This record gives sequence, C-alpha cells and structure tokens, in this order.
Amino acid sequence: MTEQVKVSCRNLHFYYSDFHALQDITFDMYQHQATALIGPSGCGKSTFLRCINRMNDLIAGVRVEGSLTMDGQDLNDPAHDVVVLRRRVGMVFQKPNPFPKSIYENVAYGLRVNGVSDRNLIDTRVEESLKLAALWDEVKDRLDQSGLSLSGGQQQRLCIARAMAVEPEVLLMDEPASALDPIATQKIEELIHELKSSFTIIIVTHSMQQAARVSDRTAFFYMGRLIEVGPTSKLFTRPENKQTEDYITGRFG
Amino acid sequence: MYTHLHEEIEALKLKVLKMAALTEEAVGKAVRSYVKKDLYLAEEVQDGDVQVNRLDVEIDELALRLLALEQPVAGDLRFILGCMRISVDLERVADEAVNIAERSIMLSSRPPLPFQDDVAEMGGKAMAMLQHAIQAFTSGNVEAALQVCSLDNEVDVLNHKNMRKVIEYMIHETPAIERSVHTIILIRRLERIGDLATNIAESVVFISEGVNIKHKRYFDEHQ
Repeated sequence: MTEQVKVSCRNLHFYYSDFHALQDITFDMYQHQATALIGPSGCGKSTFLRCINRMNDLIAGVRVEGSLTMDGQDLNDPAHDVVVLRRRVGMVFQKPNPFPKSIYENVAYGLRVNGVSDRNLIDTRVEESLKLAALWDEVKDRLDQSGLSLSGGQQQRLCIARAMAVEPEVLLMDEPASALDPIATQKIEELIHELKSSFTIIIVTHSMQQAARVSDRTAFFYMGRLIEVGPTSKLFTRPENKQTEDYITGRFG
Repeated sequence: MYTHLHEEIEALKLKVLKMAALTEEAVGKAVRSYVKKDLYLAEEVQDGDVQVNRLDVEIDELALRLLALEQPVAGDLRFILGCMRISVDLERVADEAVNIAERSIMLSSRPPLPFQDDVAEMGGKAMAMLQHAIQAFTSGNVEAALQVCSLDNEVDVLNHKNMRKVIEYMIHETPAIERSVHTIILIRRLERIGDLATNIAESVVFISEGVNIKHKRYFDEHQ
C-alpha cells in the first residue's frame, strides 16, 4: 500500500500570546496509519494535536504561523468552516466524557446536530459505531441506560463510538487510556489497530510503550520543537537523535 | 538521570566481561596445554567450564528479567540483546576450549606430531581475535570490531593450510592417523573460535549502530 499524506504541516509555529509553544514543526501524517506524538509534559504535543481540529481557537491570544493542511486544504484558512472541520476530525480526550444521556443518545448526538433525522439511519449508524468501538456486545441490551452508568473503559469506548458516528476522516486521541486500567487500556489499543484501516489516527501518549505498541510512526517533541519523527520500529530501536535516545531510555533530566 | 535499569545494565555488562575473561583464559590455557603437553592446564580448562556455564545462565536470566520488567528501548534494548548473543558465543568458545583440552590430554600420552608451531600460530591468531572482540565490546568501538571481522580470513587461510599439511602427513605416516585426526579436529576448533569471535564483534556493531552485519557478505553476493 502506498503511503498517502493525510495531514501535513510545514514550518508551523504556534504562540500563546508571547509564549512560542510550537517552533518550526514540519512533518507528515499518513492516511490509515497511527501517528504517536511523544515527549515530556509541556513539550507541545497536545498543543499540536489541538491545532489539527482548531481547538486552540477557543483560547484568547493564540497565533498560528506556517501551514497545516489536510488533503492539501489549509486548515487555518478563515474561510474553513470549523464545524465541518470538527466533523472530519474527531477527538477523544484523556478522561472519558460521555454526555449525561443514554448510551444510544450519546452516539446519535453528533448525527442529530449534523441534521440527520432518519431514525433507521441513526439506528444503523449507532450500531455500526458501537461495533467499531468494540462496545456493542456489552451494551446492546441496555442502550437506553445512561452513558454514565458504564465503567471507565466502557465510557471511553463510548466516546470513541460517539466520535466514529459522524464518520470522521481523522481521529485525534489525547492520552485516551491514561485514566484506564490495563485491561481497558489493552482494549483501546486493540481498537486503535482496528480503526486504522478506516481512519487516520493521531495519538498523544505519555506511555512510550503504548506509542510503541499502537503506532506506525512516532514523533518526538521537546520544548516546542520536533526533534525526530520516523517509523516507530526504527525510533524505538535505533533513534538518530541523541535527545530522542535519552528521552525514550529514561536518561533525560 | 541514572535509573534502576542502567544499574542493572551495568551489572549485566560486568557479568559478560567476567564471562569473557574466563573464556579468554580457557582458550589460552587450552592452546598452551597442547603446545606444552601440559595436562594440568588442560584439566584446569575442563574444570573451569562450569563457571562459564553458570555465568551464561545468569546472563540469560538477568537479560530476560530486564526485557520483561523494564521494557528497554533503543540503545538499552540493543545492549541487552547484544549481551544475550555474546554470552551464547562465549559459552561456545569455552566449549571449544574444553574440546581442545580433551585432545591435548589424549595426544599428550602419545609421541608428538610436528604441528606444535602451526597450532600455536593459529591459536595465537584466534586468541587475538577473541581479545580484540572483547576489547571492542568493552569500549563500544565499532572500528575495532570491524577489524576483528576482517581478521577471520587469516584464520580461515591458516585452517586450510594446516588441514592440508596434516592430511599430507597422514598419507605418509599411517601409524599417526589417529593422532592426526585429533590434530585436525583441534585445528577445526580453533577455526570455530575465530568464527565465534567474529560473531561477538558483529554483536558489538549491532549494539553501537543498530545494524545487523551478520552474513552480510553472503547476502550481498546472492542479491
């Protein structure tokens, strides 16, 4: 399979007022691959992730320079409809955040706000999404129960199903398993492997083992700069940069 | 920052170095036991093998534990894998030394054949390869490791030359056939030590560079 660039950034700079949070970031993220972003706290990896669905727009005083594109389209073009963008780029957060609604309504929510009213279509999409998120068998008999009644791991998979329902092209995951136990974490990781065939995944994780297990490519950020990016198997066996080696082998600081 | 893993890796390195020192000593004694017909040295080699075997098991256990519990990556991962490979090769070298010692014991009770100098020369080269490989491991010196690989040809040439020499001798001295066969086996063991020293040097390159140069020549020629 030839690698096709899905999201691309060139000389990307990002500022929180005077703070230069991302400096001259240039790399590509490929379709149907999982790209992991790793680095110590405050290195800019989450900021970078939030640039992709323009979540940072919500913060006052931010400024972006350089280019960030999806399928060649400039994501920061003022003409770009952010609502449409966020349908194309789904996001899953660190802590599961289901709506205080039924399991069914949680997944159907995105469809309804996007104007889908056909009950049959919604039913089908809810089932498909829950199956994609490997949650269907556990909840199919209690779809009317509150999403908050589920366990943490199930809630996170519900959030993934909710993100999947609107059929995004890219799925951003910000430490999706850091609040989960090892079994739930393993399920999420298995899920990432499954979802890659349909989506492009970009995941921020503090767990280097998790990055190693789930991603095809890994990007190492440090102090707002991209230090090294490459195939995960290479980055974790013979990184080219000394800082990368020091970070992943725990020799940092 | 110095972590628990790095302390353990130091301990692993010390074990490999200890094993290397014992193995090197065994090869030296084995060759001298043949050249000098010294039964005492040969028996020391036989008795000392258990220590090398014990270290081999210890290195295996420690490396397995580090892989399972510490999930090492990059240079640490390569170092642990490299140590596992090197300990397997060292254990084999020590076995070759025991084999040579056994031949020495057998041959010492019989009239000598005129190959002492040839065996001493070849033993010296194989020994030098082993020493240089171990030094390359100690210092992580890739250049030195690559030089060991290039020395292997010299040992191979000596192996071939000595084999021919012993076979020629056998043809004319039929009463010496049994002793000659043992001598051939002994020469062959020295050639293997050269091969195993090359393996160790290749592991040193793997640890430092992350590239596998094993069988490279074969793959290059058959691609």
